[in-house]
Amino acid sequence: MDLTPKVKFMGLTFDLTVIIGSLVTAVIVYILVTLLARRLSIRPTGRQNMLEYIIDFISGITGIMMEKKESLKYISFAMTTFLFIMIANLLGVIVIVTTEVTGPIPSLGLTASALEAANHSVSWFKSPTSDLNVTFAMAGAVMLYSHFAGAVKHPLAYAKDYFKPYWWMLPFNIIDELAKPVTHAARLWANIFAGEVLILILREGTLYLTAAPLLVWMGFSIFVGCIQAYIFTVLAMVYIGQKVSAD
Amino acid sequence: MTTILAGAIMIGLGALAAGIGDSILFARYMEGIARQPEARGTLFGQTMILFGLIEALPIISIAFGILVLFGIV
Repeated sequence: MDLTPKVKFMGLTFDLTVIIGSLVTAVIVYILVTLLARRLSIRPTGRQNMLEYIIDFISGITGIMMEKKESLKYISFAMTTFLFIMIANLLGVIVIVTTEVTGPIPSLGLTASALEAANHSVSWFKSPTSDLNVTFAMAGAVMLYSHFAGAVKHPLAYAKDYFKPYWWMLPFNIIDELAKPVTHAARLWANIFAGEVLILILREGTLYLTAAPLLVWMGFSIFVGCIQAYIFTVLAMVYIGQKVSAD
Repeated sequence: MTTILAGAIMIGLGALAAGIGDSILFARYMEGIARQPEARGTLFGQTMILFGLIEALPIISIAFGILVLFGIV
């Protein structure tokens, strides 16, 4: 566990590494998609083919629970979620920024005693998805949107859903709805967090002993990062589709 | 001592459960492609999604085990 700079604002503590990580990820995603979408033509070539492949892939995800016409509305949301999470996961695997801070900086929460305990090394960058608050915010937003959209679209069917299959199943249905965002968020966070901690532990070890496991684990982390981004998007679309689709 | 034991049990049982779950999943996948070799492509994609879903629970346990080991929770 490295020491991280924290900022206190209006009684809340903000982790600077998460803010820097999210900003860098957002900028990279923006630049990537802008570069791919330049000079569009009717007959796609090269970069445009790549972008169309990604959109095709995403429209497959949104089409799992909804009809084609309904699902077109959600393509941009699903694509933003997928690209942001995937780039964030991959950045956490390959980028580590650690500096040596000798003097205490009280405004960033780097007090002398904390620096002494962390051996003066301060981490400035980590994958935003390896922070529990970020994933819970994303899963919570998906949950709020799915309930809101379902209640607005067909209120009666939405309310009836809580009493299925029998009226006394109501407590179980409420627990089910509450457990959804928790597992949704914890699934993404735990995968990325465990991966990053293991990379940190292997990095500390002896070179000849841990270099090969580190390489293997980094390869596996890249695989896990892509899979988890896909699963997060699929689950978000399934949760929204359960509430929105009429049946 | 107790925190180390607690973290070790969480990580170990998580790995055990993941081993059982993944072995059942991949055994069924192998049976599937033995029965219908032409379905390999679609089965692989579905298997990987289910693998990610199964792998999540043990890895949640491992993440909390790490937190307990380092004394954060």
